Amino acid sequence: MNLIPPPLSLYVHMPWCVRKCPYCDFNSHGVRGTPAYADYVDALLADLDADLRDFGTALDGRRIATVFFGGGTPSLFAPELIGRFLDGARERLPFAPDAEITLETNPGTVEHGRFDGYLAAGVNRISFGVQSFDNDKLRRLGRIHSAGEAADAVRQAQDAGIGNINIDLMYALPEQTLEGALDDIDRAVTLGPTHVSHYQLTLEPNTAFAANPPPLPDDDAAWAIQEACEARLGEAGYGQYEVSAYALPGRRCAHNLNYWRFGDYLGIGAGAHGKISDANGVRRRWKTRLPAAYLASAGQPARIGGDNLVALDDLPFEYMLNALRLVDGVPMADFAERTGLSQAAIAPAMAACVARGWLVHDAVTLKTTALGQRFLNDVIEAFMA
Amino acid sequence: MELIRNFSIIAHIDHGKSTLADRIIQLCGGLSEREMEAQVLDNNPIERERGITIKAQSVSLPYKARDGKTYQLNFIDTPGHVDFSYEVSRSLSACEGALLVVDAAQGVEAQSVANCYTAIEQGLEVIPVLNKIDLPTADIEKAKAEIEAVIGLDASDAIPVSAKTGQNVVEVLEAIIQRIPAPKPGDTDKLQALIIDSWFDNYLGVVSLVRVMQGEIRPGDKILVMSTGRTHLVDDVGVFTPKRKKLERLAAGEVGWINASIKDVHGAPVGDTLTHAGKPAAAPLPGFQTMKPRVFAGLFPVSADDYPALREALDKLRLNDAAMFFEPESSEAMGFGFRCGFLGMLHMEIVQERLEREYDLDLITTAPTVVYEVLKTDGSVLAMDNPAKLPPPQQITEIREPIIVATILTPGDYVGNVIKLCEEKRGVQLTIQYLATQVQVTYELPLAEVVLDFFDRLKSVSRGYASMDYHLERFDAGPFVRVDILINGDRVDALSLIVHRSHADRRGRELVERMKDLIPRQQFDVAIQAAIGAAVIARSTVKALRKNVLAKCYGGDVSRKKKLLEKQKEGKKRMKQVGSVEIPQEAFLAVLKVDK
Repeated sequence: MNLIPPPLSLYVHMPWCVRKCPYCDFNSHGVRGTPAYADYVDALLADLDADLRDFGTALDGRRIATVFFGGGTPSLFAPELIGRFLDGARERLPFAPDAEITLETNPGTVEHGRFDGYLAAGVNRISFGVQSFDNDKLRRLGRIHSAGEAADAVRQAQDAGIGNINIDLMYALPEQTLEGALDDIDRAVTLGPTHVSHYQLTLEPNTAFAANPPPLPDDDAAWAIQEACEARLGEAGYGQYEVSAYALPGRRCAHNLNYWRFGDYLGIGAGAHGKISDANGVRRRWKTRLPAAYLASAGQPARIGGDNLVALDDLPFEYMLNALRLVDGVPMADFAERTGLSQAAIAPAMAACVARGWLVHDAVTLKTTALGQRFLNDVIEAFMA
Repeated sequence: MELIRNFSIIAHIDHGKSTLADRIIQLCGGLSEREMEAQVLDNNPIERERGITIKAQSVSLPYKARDGKTYQLNFIDTPGHVDFSYEVSRSLSACEGALLVVDAAQGVEAQSVANCYTAIEQGLEVIPVLNKIDLPTADIEKAKAEIEAVIGLDASDAIPVSAKTGQNVVEVLEAIIQRIPAPKPGDTDKLQALIIDSWFDNYLGVVSLVRVMQGEIRPGDKILVMSTGRTHLVDDVGVFTPKRKKLERLAAGEVGWINASIKDVHGAPVGDTLTHAGKPAAAPLPGFQTMKPRVFAGLFPVSADDYPALREALDKLRLNDAAMFFEPESSEAMGFGFRCGFLGMLHMEIVQERLEREYDLDLITTAPTVVYEVLKTDGSVLAMDNPAKLPPPQQITEIREPIIVATILTPGDYVGNVIKLCEEKRGVQLTIQYLATQVQVTYELPLAEVVLDFFDRLKSVSRGYASMDYHLERFDAGPFVRVDILINGDRVDALSLIVHRSHADRRGRELVERMKDLIPRQQFDVAIQAAIGAAVIARSTVKALRKNVLAKCYGGDVSRKKKLLEKQKEGKKRMKQVGSVEIPQEAFLAVLKVDK
């Protein structure tokens, strides 16, 4: 297989939270006592060393285009620790000069002055997990911050000179009205972030909400909220470029775009997933989930939770699962370059989707229609083996 | 020949036939303890899961009796469900006697009554056996009294047993020896062998279960199938012990299998007579009455590509199931499929299940319908098995529906419920008779009402105790109309049904509501209407789905997303695209569920 190496990103997972939220199905763990933050950073660097050794020539000559600290709550880590990791990473890998470096932040965990430290450490983008500006909704979501604290945190980051800021909002919250959802948008926009991620709250398996579902707006109400919020964001200059992502011009999240364009990424940290194109195909590797097990196996083979080549049959599905989320679509040529499969392999599915009014393409670009965006699961299903 | 005994067991499904059969096989040493698997004779996995017997099976057992002689007992198993009563008469025609097994706690069951009459009519010696005497609720005297009252059979010599514990089962074997006559030799030595059953074996081709009436049959014989005039060379003969055992010959009086490399089961039709090609018998044996399918439904592949595979599967199934009928059907809504005839609902369910399991086909079955007689204005009578093919009203003088006479046995506590159910289903009471432990009611009922959900309802209103047998009586004219179902304005021919005028509005409403619940929301509104001719009698709408999209996707674990979408895809496999609407399989059978 001859894959053209796509852009390379680095995802770093920070597994601890002050408290686990009842809707959250990410690999996050409420803290008991003080976690071994410094040891964890050492383990991250050891993990990176080992991955670089394992992947060998597949990474030759490739630069890190973006870094994303996700969690969990990465802002539980002091700026010095984030700096130590980034310095260590730069010693091991070349970074692009304009590399986007994002840190997820819980507005309830940042004391004054912290953003200066993150900026000095190299972070140039902050993503705030605000979720809502309604204190009642925040309580129901199990969040540890108030609406006022969230607004303060955003302003502090801006004051520190971090110009690139995302606000995460959720909608279709327990007993949320359309007015309530629009109010959240308005208050976010007032703060002047460059990016808004606007997700529907969904009940995921193995969460407290799944076991004990709160009263959520029905499908029709959720759709009305989405449409109205999308319009409100658009009026404020935030264009939708993915199912749940909105940005001011030129401020799209480069790291996430790389996922959606089926780029490569190293996944470092407990439970982190990586994807690397090598001579054998598209390889996925993920790390053991539990922080204690990850720490205990720092840099050792036991840190690997799994590692496999994506079956050729699964590649069209995995590619489309990501690419079709993008409102502007993707270059037609990308499919072959990133999967190593020929365009012909998906021609029948593509034709069927075009006939249903879900996809449009010419020689240059493939993209979903507005209908296809709404029924993306049906579209992607067409590409399943 | 005087050491051969051929017998069947007549029993209700859960009155212990299989357990008794297992016990008999064990006593005769047919299988070692280790090989003894519960319910040895129910071979087909569906039979085993449902605890019923569909196809006749046989087993030959050596039994050393108290008189010191070793007898060959040939046990021919019989199905125990009303749909398969024709198989019973076939099995019985190979026997000289039958055991009537009655649950000593529950009393006689309607099916057994009917089968027992068949046995008596065929001149068989019937030995009553009272099973489950280990149960504290068993009442031997009451059960005997009921056998005498309901069937009119002398039950003074009935043998009380417990098949479960094995108590007294050996007395049953002795009674078989003493009371059932040995087969009588035929008039000549010219071979006459009755084909009791034929089935298709992937390796051997057609295997037939035969009863040799006179003469004998050996490997290498050139045999003539008397109805077709075709000749075949016999490869092997033998018996089931219950393992397949090859023999040098099957002689007069014996029951066993033959294999003549016949490629097609129609080459060895059930009920036909085999004889020697070189020295043929003068005349064939009297065959069986051919069974007419009573219930018809359309079978359509979900994907049109599967049509040839469906035809092949039906062809193969028919090798095993002479009662199944099918012919190509073309539906505007469903595309190409087959109109299939079945003996009843259970038969239909089993065929559908086998097609899906054994042949891995995704199918849509349309609502079953009975066969109506349509008297046309030109004086001709049409047997109509498909509502979509009802002639236009101006060509119809009258429509007649099949009426059955149902005999129902129920414990006294539930007789009120049973009567209420029968009345609700347009039944007319003929008789009611109070017996020792049960009440016997007979009703005239429209077959159309019975095929829908009558058996399930009967069981549920009687806590599973009531039993029923029926036979077709006649056709009655009535005010019948065709209710059509329209989806987004287009008539879906496969969903049309014939309904009594007085029930039409309610049926239409219930059906539309039920379908609304069964059809998932789609990318657009789906309007469902029920109509008689141009008049819409009920309507409902499945509102459009707004979106179907994952909120988050960020390069992490794709396996859960994949599973979710695979589940979605699997769900669609069970749906048929009619126009632009995806209709799940259950919606086509919604009419069966409207009363629930």
